[in-house]
Formats: sequence, C-alpha cells, structure tokens
Amino acid sequence: MAQFIADRRDIEFVLHEQLQVEKLSKHERFAEFNKKTVDMIVNEARNLAVKEILPTQLLGDQEGCKFENGKVTVPESFHRAYEIIKEGEWVAMPESLEWGGQGMPMVVSLAASDYLVGANYAFMMYPGLTQGAGKLIEAFGTDKQKELFLKKMFTGEWTGTMLLTEPEAGSDVGALTTSAVKNSDGTYSISGSKIFISSGEHDLAENIIHPVLARIEGAPAGTKGISLFLVPKIWVNDDGSLGEFNDVVCTGIEEKMGIHGNVTCSISLGGKGECKGTLLGEENKGMRAMFLMMNEARLLVGLQGFTCASTAYMYAVNYARQRLQGKHLLKMRDENAPSVPIIQHPDVRRQLITMKAYVEGMRSLIYYVGMCEDNVKVEKSAKEKEKYQGIIDVLIPIAKGYVTDKAFEVCNHGLQIYGGYGYIKEYPLEQLVRDCRITMIYEGTNGIQAMDLLGRKLGLNKGKPVMDLLGEMQASIAAAREIEDLKELADLVQEAVNKLGEVGLHMGASAMSPDVMKAFAFAYPFMEVTGDIVMAWMLLWRATVAAHKLEKGARKKDAAFYEGQLKSAEFFVHSILPTTMGKCNAILTTNGAAVEIMEDSFGG
Amino acid sequence: MEILVCVKRVPDTSENEIEINKDGSDIERDDLVYSVNEWDNYAVEEAIQIRDNVGGSVTVVSVGDEDAEEVVRREMAMGADKGILLSDNAFEGSDGRGIANILKAEVEKGKYDLVLTGAQADDGAGQVGGMLAAMLDWPYASLVNSLEVVDDKTIKVGREIAGGNLEMNEIDLPCVLSIQTGINEPRYVGIRGIRKVASIDIPVHGAGDLGITPESVGESGAKVKRIDYFTPELGEGAEILEGSTDEIIEKLIELLKAKGGIK
Ligand SMILES: Cc1cc2nc3c(=O)[nH]c(=O)nc-3n(C[C@H](O)[C@H](O)[C@H](O)COP(=O)(O)OP(=O)(O)OC[C@H]3O[C@@H](n4cnc5c(N)ncnc54)[C@H](O)[C@@H]3O)c2cc1C
Repeated sequence: MAQFIADRRDIEFVLHEQLQVEKLSKHERFAEFNKKTVDMIVNEARNLAVKEILPTQLLGDQEGCKFENGKVTVPESFHRAYEIIKEGEWVAMPESLEWGGQGMPMVVSLAASDYLVGANYAFMMYPGLTQGAGKLIEAFGTDKQKELFLKKMFTGEWTGTMLLTEPEAGSDVGALTTSAVKNSDGTYSISGSKIFISSGEHDLAENIIHPVLARIEGAPAGTKGISLFLVPKIWVNDDGSLGEFNDVVCTGIEEKMGIHGNVTCSISLGGKGECKGTLLGEENKGMRAMFLMMNEARLLVGLQGFTCASTAYMYAVNYARQRLQGKHLLKMRDENAPSVPIIQHPDVRRQLITMKAYVEGMRSLIYYVGMCEDNVKVEKSAKEKEKYQGIIDVLIPIAKGYVTDKAFEVCNHGLQIYGGYGYIKEYPLEQLVRDCRITMIYEGTNGIQAMDLLGRKLGLNKGKPVMDLLGEMQASIAAAREIEDLKELADLVQEAVNKLGEVGLHMGASAMSPDVMKAFAFAYPFMEVTGDIVMAWMLLWRATVAAHKLEKGARKKDAAFYEGQLKSAEFFVHSILPTTMGKCNAILTTNGAAVEIMEDSFGG
Repeated sequence: MEILVCVKRVPDTSENEIEINKDGSDIERDDLVYSVNEWDNYAVEEAIQIRDNVGGSVTVVSVGDEDAEEVVRREMAMGADKGILLSDNAFEGSDGRGIANILKAEVEKGKYDLVLTGAQADDGAGQVGGMLAAMLDWPYASLVNSLEVVDDKTIKVGREIAGGNLEMNEIDLPCVLSIQTGINEPRYVGIRGIRKVASIDIPVHGAGDLGITPESVGESGAKVKRIDYFTPELGEGAEILEGSTDEIIEKLIELLKAKGGIK
C-alpha cells in the first residue's frame, strides 16, 4: 500500500461488482463509458491525484492563503496542480459536452473524485465550486449567459463560487439583506456584504463568477423574495471580452481550523455603488433554483468528508501494522515475549473494523446516489425516473449529514490509533481531523440536514420515496437470504428495516401533532438511525456480492478482500446495529426533556 | 517523422508490495496492479513532442499478453496516433533477445525513422533497445536525455555519462534510442484523450503475421534462463535510519560526524 487516499480494490468493487456501472453504457447517452474507459478514467485520476495533488495537501495546510492589499494568494503549489486539472479537463466531468463538460456518468465522476478530492479537498474546492456554479448557469441561464460564461467555467479558465451567507443569514438564508435594483439596461445594481465565501477571491484564474442571492427592492420578505444573480469579478462584455472591475471587493479572509488551502472570504458587493449583475432565472425564484442544485452540492460535501475518512483509514491501518507496542494479549505474562504490531490488539482491531465498515458503507452509499442520478437521466419511463429521484431526495440528508458525522468519527478513531503521534502535526491524522470538521457545518449544518429529512423528505409525495427506498432494501435482504451464511445477518437487517418503518411512521405523525417540538428534538437521532440502517443495507449488499465471488473461487488477495466484506457486515450488524435498535426505542418514546426544560434551567 | 515507441506493462511499484513466490522463480504476480513502465512514458512524450514539432506520426507497440493492450491504449490516450499489440502464446517466456527479435519483425513491417525505448524497465535488464538496434543494424544511443531533430536525415542527442557529464552526438536516421527519465515532463492523460481512444480497435500481430518461427522466440528460444530469484540477506554493518525526514537527516549528519565523514 503505497498511496494513502483510497483503497483501489474497494473502488473497483463498488463500481464493477456491487453497482455494475457498465450497465449504464447500454444506454446511448453513456455508450462510450464501457468498462475499459471507466477503468482508464479512474486510473488516470488516481495517477494524477497521487503524483500531483497529494503533495499539495500538507503544503496547502502549512502555507495557507494570504491576504494583502485586497488580493488573495493561494498556496504556491496549487498553481501547477490547477493547471493540470484544467489541462486534463477534470473540472466538469458529469456536465454536458456542449459546454465543455465530459458527459460522464455521475457515479464514474464520483469514483475519479474519490482520488482527486481525497488527495486534497481544500484544493479541489476551487474546481468543485466552479462546476457547481456552472451548473446553475446551465440550468437557469439565458443563451447569452451560457455563451458568455459556461465554457470558460466548465473548462476551468474562470472559476465560480456561491454567495449565500451573510452575518445575519446563515442557516436561515431567507434573512439575507443584500439588495438588487434594476437598471434601465436590464442589469441589476447589487449591494451588500457576504461572508464565509469559499474560493471568493484568489490568483488561480483571471476571472471569478459569483452567483449571488439577493433581494430585489420591494420583493416579499423571507425566501419567497430572493433572486439569483450572476456577478462577475471582472465585467464580461457582450462580445465575451473582459471589461471593467465590477466593484466586488474581498475585505478579509478567515483564519480557520482546517482547509487552510481554500480561502474563505468576506466580500463586499457594490461598496462604491458600481457592482452590476444579471438575473439568473426568474425574479424571486432564487431559492427554488438553489434547491434544484442543492442535492448535488450536498452530495459533494458528503464526498469531501468521506474522503477524509477513507484517507484516515488507509493511514491508520498501515500505521497499526507497523507500530510495535505491547505484548500480545495471550503472552502478557511472558517477560521475553516480543512487542507486537498494535494491529494485533483487540481494542485497536475494534477501532479499525469500525472505520473499515463505515468507510465501505459510505463509499457504497455515495456511489449509489450517483448511480441513481444517472438512472434518472437514462431511464425511459417517467415512473422510473421519479422513483430514482425520490430515492435521491431521501438519501441526500444521509449522504451529507450522516456521512460527514461518521466521517469525522472515523478520522477521530484514526487519530486515536496513532496514539500521541496522532496529535502531532508531523503526522497526517491531525490535519485530516481538522479538515474534516467543516463538512458537518457548511452546505446546511447537519442539524439542518436532519430537519430536512424529517420535515421535508419523510412526507414527500405522501411517503412514496421512503417506501421505494425501503423496497430497495428489501430486495437486497431477499438476495442475501439466498445465501446460507448470510441468513442470520439478513434477518437482523430485516428487523432493523421494519423498526425503521415503525420509527418513520411515528416521527411523521408526531411532527404533525402538538408534539412537534419533541419530534424535532429527535430529528437528529432519526437521521442517525436511518443512516445506520442504510449502512447495514449497503454492507449486507456488499457481503452478498462477496459471498457469490468466494463461492466461485477467488485469487489469494481477492479472497482476503471478499472475506473482509463478510466481516464488515458481520461486525456492523452484530456490534453497531443493536445500539441503533436502542436508539430507535428512544425515538419511539420521544421524551420531552430537551424541549420542556426551562431556559433558565440550562444554567451557565 | 515516423516514430515507433516500444512500451512495456510492468507491476506498478507504487501500488504493490512486491513479494517473491514460493518456489523462488519469480515474483508473486497473482494480484498485482500493473501500469506503463515509467521510462516508456518519457519516450512516448518525447515522440509526441517531435511529431508536434516536425510532423509525422507516433506508433506505440508492446509485446505482451492481451492485458498489455491497456498500456498501449493508455499511451494512445496520451497522444500517440497508432497502437499495435504483439501477442502470441509462442512469445511467452522470451528473453531480452527474443523480445528484440519480435520487435525487429514489427519494425521491418513499417517505415520508421526513429525507434524509441525506455532506458530500462522496472523489472527488466535494460537490454532490449541495444539488441534491437544491433539486429536492425541501425545506430543506437542509450540513456538519451536530450533530443533535437536536425533534419530528416540526422538528429542530435545528449547522453548522460557517469560523473554527471553530458555528451552530444549526431546520429543518422533511422536509429534506435533508449530514453532516460528527466528528458521531458510526460503529460498526464486527460479525459478527452481517453474518450478518443475508448473504442479504437488495437491490431494484434502474432508470430505468423510477423513471419517469426515460434521456436526462435518464447521459452524455447530463450538462451538466458532465470535460475533463482530472491531478496539478498541484509549484510552486516548496514543500518536503516527510521523516523521523519528531518529526524533521518539529523541522525545521518550525526553518524557522518561520528565516523569522520564530515567535520
Ligand atoms: C469554511 C467555511 C466555508 C463556507 N463557504 C461558504 C460559501 O462558499 N458560500 C456560502 O454562502 N456560505 C459558506 N459558508 C457558510 C456556511 O454555509 C454557514 O456557516 C452555515 O450554513 C451555518 O450558518 P451560521 O454559521 O450562520 O450558523 P447558524 O445558522 O447561526 O447556526 C448555529 C447553530 O444553530 C443551528 N440552527 C440554526 N437554525 C436552526 C433551526 N432553524 N433549527 C435548528 N437548528 C438551527 C445550526 O444547526 C447550528 O448548529 C461557509 C462557512 C465556513 C465556515
């Protein structure tokens, strides 16, 4: 194991054995993406990630971004890496060919990103946000806007951002006060202050295109009065040439706990009254546009957190094989017994297998959501499209909220396995823990994700998406039952799925009752148990595939890999799922202490 | 200029723990991850740059089993125009001379001005380029680290000499060169390149196509036979320094001071 980003065998397993992505190439849209091509793409992404991007991870953390005289410089090493990402056209993998994207299945682009993002996600946020901003323009832009901006963005020549947050408008975007006034030439004058803007100002590209949420003068309060605007750092003339500087000023950058390589900016718009933007989409429909884009943005944040976990696991397992400390438990009394690698100690193994099970379950979940996105695109019948879209909608808060929570836990276990060295900057875990932490906060805090699951997704379309998801789980359980060795696990997962159904009904009803406050105090635990059961489903599915492969006879290393799949499922179902069942019982009780306690009683 | 580049599929040393098999005849190949031999990427990059400067075409060729197709395709994604796989059961177990023999047959089928190989392979003996040149009776330069096209009859090459010296040579075309790493910076394969070559059929030439008598190559034709394969025992007095880079440097300096290496 010489590169520390992701387990190559595991990525291949999910792509080809679990999800069988080659099926997508039967559809005309993805006909090019046969197994050979998919493998080549993922291999080259790995090659690039290991050789060019991974070396920038530590450098980016140490050097950070600098703010001087209104200008931001990114870590020196990012320049070369960004050129290579641009040259190789890795910026907009799943976007349309017409505008400079690569038309790749989402699931394949996620596998490539597993390496690229895993190598340095703070760096990959520059192209990542660019892709996201471009997608907004593709979905809502006029032909002219697309012509002026899109190709430049999807090819990485210009970068993009997302300007939502203001000091008084964080989780509640509806509270924002940045304003827009229509000019006679059809443009809008924008003024306001945004904070915490990732990649908001830097020296990687000539121009930066900011999609900005603002309120047109006289528009209704709250989210119903928000519109979306395109505000370039340097104005782009009608013929595509660059015009004047657009009064978009970076007034400062944040000192952060992690992701030092990605700049977080305060941005003043129209401080001199000279900031112009064009409307993107329709007036007052800005939030709707954001919602359409949110799924993908949240999935990508899930991926960011996940890659920290994947990397942490790779480092930890490798360290545990090498670090000699303590005698083997069964030779404790033997004075002359040698020290053993810590991977031989039961408590270290407990942590390693916990990390392994989560990393595998999370990888499968993220790729599965990507594959559902692809299925929405290729399925012919409206019914099937709707089914996959519904499953995505339900799984997004899990793929963001649950995944980033667990990813942080996994990093934390990794740090623990390093012992004191884990706390020392010279070793990699300290940075991973810091970098991972923000993924639980931005793009909607995980608390907001839990409320999304309970408040919006659970009752979506009268509960059909949730039923469809449970149906998919049932199908996997039925397949596992066919295998003698997996019967017991399958039965336990079935019990948990039944329990989740019960909890879902209870939560749905409570949220509509006078107990609504109590119900929302359990939104987070509800997201957690849903996530646990999704993990159990994914691990059981993996174990089923692995059991079939073992039955057919596998080569030496492959056999160890497949045995490892059976063990992950066994561990999760027997050691973690029982606590999930307990948490389900707590949710069903819906005790009200958290909401009933008087504010004064919190003390402090 | 018509350029042929010979490339090899080798176990990727950055991805594998290389272990020796039970009977000590080879490494354990069962589950290895393979990639293109590092040196060959430099040779292909050089060929692409020459083509882009003076015109012509770049063909990559590999002797190997059907899996070697993936490295040919990869180098085409990098920018080579054509690819050929030389594959036949009869080729299995060839020694360096056998491989050179097979490549010679392919070279003679075409009209190449320049044949490039890597200076060596991760798992090889650095012999194929030289043998191929001799068999073709073409001029040869090894360890080439700079290359300049003079006209369509001559090129100028720089070679690395021991002690850090450089030597410049003019060579008549056609010729064979083995390319050293560092001569250029091989480009990464981008998505566009991959998509371009995704559905191209790569022709496979066997012994029959090349007019090679099966007995002259492969195991039966091999006159160099490996009789053992092992990791040498660590000698006395060797010490492996452990720790972070800074710690290692510090220890090294201490050692050098202690033993009189530096004052
Ligand atoms: C490094 C970094 C990069 C960022 N990048 C960007 C960017 O590029 N663009 C951008 O627009 N923003 C960005 N943000 C802003 C980020 O999205 C917000 O910080 C986040 O949404 C939370 O808002 P807040 O900080 O105001 O916290 P608050 O909204 O004040 O939340 C504080 C706490 O209260 C909880 N809470 C708030 N409201 C509710 C509620 N109704 N019900 C239950 N709980 C609630 C939250 O879960 C949280 O725990 C970034 C932030 C950081 C730190």
